[in-house]
Amino acid sequence: APGRPGLVTGMDACGSQAAVTYIVFVFSLPADIISTVEFNHTGELLATGDKGGRVVIFQREQESKNQPHRRGEYNVYSTFQSHEPEFDYLKSLEIEEKINKIRWLPQQNAAYFLLSTNDKTVKLWKVSERDKRPEGYNLKDEDGRLRDPSMITVLRVPVLRPMDLMVEATPRRVFANAHTYHINSISVNSDYETYMSADDLRINLWNFEITNQSFNIVDIKPANMEELTEVITAAEFHPHHCNTFVYSSSKGTIRLCDMRTAALCDRHAKFFEEPEDPSNRSFFSEIISSISDVKFSHSGRYIMTRDYLTVKVWDLNMENRPIETYQVHDYLRSKLCSLYENDCIFDKFECVWNGSDSVIMTGSYNNFFRMFDRNTKRDVTLEASRENSKPRAILKPRKVCVGGKRRKDEISVDSLDFSKKILHTAWHPSENIIAVAATNNLYIFQDKVN
Amino acid sequence: MLGKGGKRKFDEHEDGLEGKVVSPTDGPSKVSYTLQRQTIFNISLMKLYNHRPLTEPSLQKTVLINNMLRRIQEELKQEGSLRPMFVAASQPADPLSDNFREAQPAFSHLASPPLLPADFVSTMPLESCLTPASLLEDDTFCTSPAVQHDGPTKPPPPALQPVKDSFSSALDEIEELCPAPTSAEAVAAESAADDSKAQPGESNIHKPEGLPESRTAESKLMDPLPGNFEITASTGFLTDLTLDDILFADIDTSMYDFDPCTSATGAASKMAPVSADELLKTLAPYSSQPVTPNQPFKMDLTELDHIMEVLVGS
Repeated sequence: APGRPGLVTGMDACGSQAAVTYIVFVFSLPADIISTVEFNHTGELLATGDKGGRVVIFQREQESKNQPHRRGEYNVYSTFQSHEPEFDYLKSLEIEEKINKIRWLPQQNAAYFLLSTNDKTVKLWKVSERDKRPEGYNLKDEDGRLRDPSMITVLRVPVLRPMDLMVEATPRRVFANAHTYHINSISVNSDYETYMSADDLRINLWNFEITNQSFNIVDIKPANMEELTEVITAAEFHPHHCNTFVYSSSKGTIRLCDMRTAALCDRHAKFFEEPEDPSNRSFFSEIISSISDVKFSHSGRYIMTRDYLTVKVWDLNMENRPIETYQVHDYLRSKLCSLYENDCIFDKFECVWNGSDSVIMTGSYNNFFRMFDRNTKRDVTLEASRENSKPRAILKPRKVCVGGKRRKDEISVDSLDFSKKILHTAWHPSENIIAVAATNNLYIFQDKVN
Repeated sequence: MLGKGGKRKFDEHEDGLEGKVVSPTDGPSKVSYTLQRQTIFNISLMKLYNHRPLTEPSLQKTVLINNMLRRIQEELKQEGSLRPMFVAASQPADPLSDNFREAQPAFSHLASPPLLPADFVSTMPLESCLTPASLLEDDTFCTSPAVQHDGPTKPPPPALQPVKDSFSSALDEIEELCPAPTSAEAVAAESAADDSKAQPGESNIHKPEGLPESRTAESKLMDPLPGNFEITASTGFLTDLTLDDILFADIDTSMYDFDPCTSATGAASKMAPVSADELLKTLAPYSSQPVTPNQPFKMDLTELDHIMEVLVGS
């Protein structure tokens, strides 16, 4: 029956699109456009990076008897400046401080660690809590000013006293000077000792402990740059096999590599490419085939890729075509020339799996985002907007009208706002909680549990 | 942005402009196909050359736009339309475009051989250690794997044996004028080119062309820099065009009076201030293709010659 709460996975059996109920939290980040969103491995923390080089971390409230209705709310936990703008004097160009990606390390002690990167430099940040401080120094007073030694008559031992919780972020490692081109991806290895960073032409492997050296594991730079026709667009380690990773290209191909076979993984172990559909061929075929994101499923059995118009799921054991293809916004196919002219065709949408790999999600224009249930084959379009986002609002599915009569509540293709694009989304690792970044607003949608 | 009413007629009415390709052989649709192609070509050129960002342009975007332009150019060549814009003028351009044709099928081959020259891939021993990323910036990667012994220590950049032919002597001359690392890179590229059977001419021709383009230079991070290496693939495309139209008439050439002192680090001992004119004179005998950034100067020179002829002769 319509109105039953739950996500797409809980849609009713009779097939009509159920309205889904969500608790919604909206955070507005002052001034800056969110450029990446990532839950940590437990889902307790949610990190966002923005164009201004800042990282904001949200933490989920613990269950509390005093305020049971606030269980599960996310609130700001820590904010810090991760990257600053730099100037490359050799090229006379600015290096943007925009955070391209954040990746969490699994938690191994009381502190949290994350990697954040801009175009050139990766940094390892430690986020830790301090709730005690030492008091009673002999040589300095509580403000830190030095005391006059001649005035000290008594010796005392400093003690730790409780203080208001303070969350500090400190940069523990800076991994710099290893990328000539712009870093598009970072991925923590399942060995938790190494990670990789990928730019347009190369992928480097780092050890967390060593900052002055990284090893090149993929290099597609041609001897003559004028022969360059393909770049690396995304890369990720396999979630369980620490020797395996994939990288995607601007020509719509995915290569799976095994680091055990050779030091330089220019020869792939598997090559995933779907043959072109001749009936859909156009001038823009190559551009729209360029893969903007690649993600392993949690199980490690599948990879999901996002190109301009579709999301595809590939079985690692089948290289010649994807096992599933989902149309995100096929109505744009007739608008490709305009989208090429205004550069929208180069927008890099990301895609995410839910915790059980049964639902996939990706963004679109007009602040729409789409979810596809792989089992039921149902899909839904939702909107991240202020009007829809009162707490406990029922999120209404949206629909784009592609021609003919436009029904009430439908939006026509020509009315879509292409400046409102949802490029970055994240899904809680185990629960039905999603984070959607719409320009400078972060929306957190949470499944309402009765 | 799209949306509020179709300003562009083609979007709404011309089926041929958007979406599917109309086969060029269809009679009545051929015009709209040609129109579509020309429009996209113009848009692509505008994107590449009107964009003056403060930050480095996206390489992916540049590559995709460049591929688009090449595809259209290929089509036009195959159709035999020899409009001045697309004339593959004399022999240097043809080998270049042959290179493109070679390169692209090679790359798109499904077995996907690596883009490194095949010989070097085969000489790279499997048991060789991982290449430290710092070495990549030598751009002498074609020789560095052979030199590696242990991973953690950075091997010294290998000494290169310059091949003594007319090109390398030309490059040596250029080296006199320009930062030393550029020649190292050019010689490396030359050896790479020689070994990979590609015509040795092209890569060397285009390396010097890249010199004045300081804005898109590749930066060497730790070791002596390879110099101002033209990384925008668009340069290759430009050399195919005879630039006699408005496209480059208003290029701001102040950018091209590059000061070598700002480019290389350390070892460049032969740096001397070089003006674009000197560079042009050096390059002119070795390349019948106009050097891109100096194009305006070349136009001025020929115009000047022309004027001189008119004044003195006739």
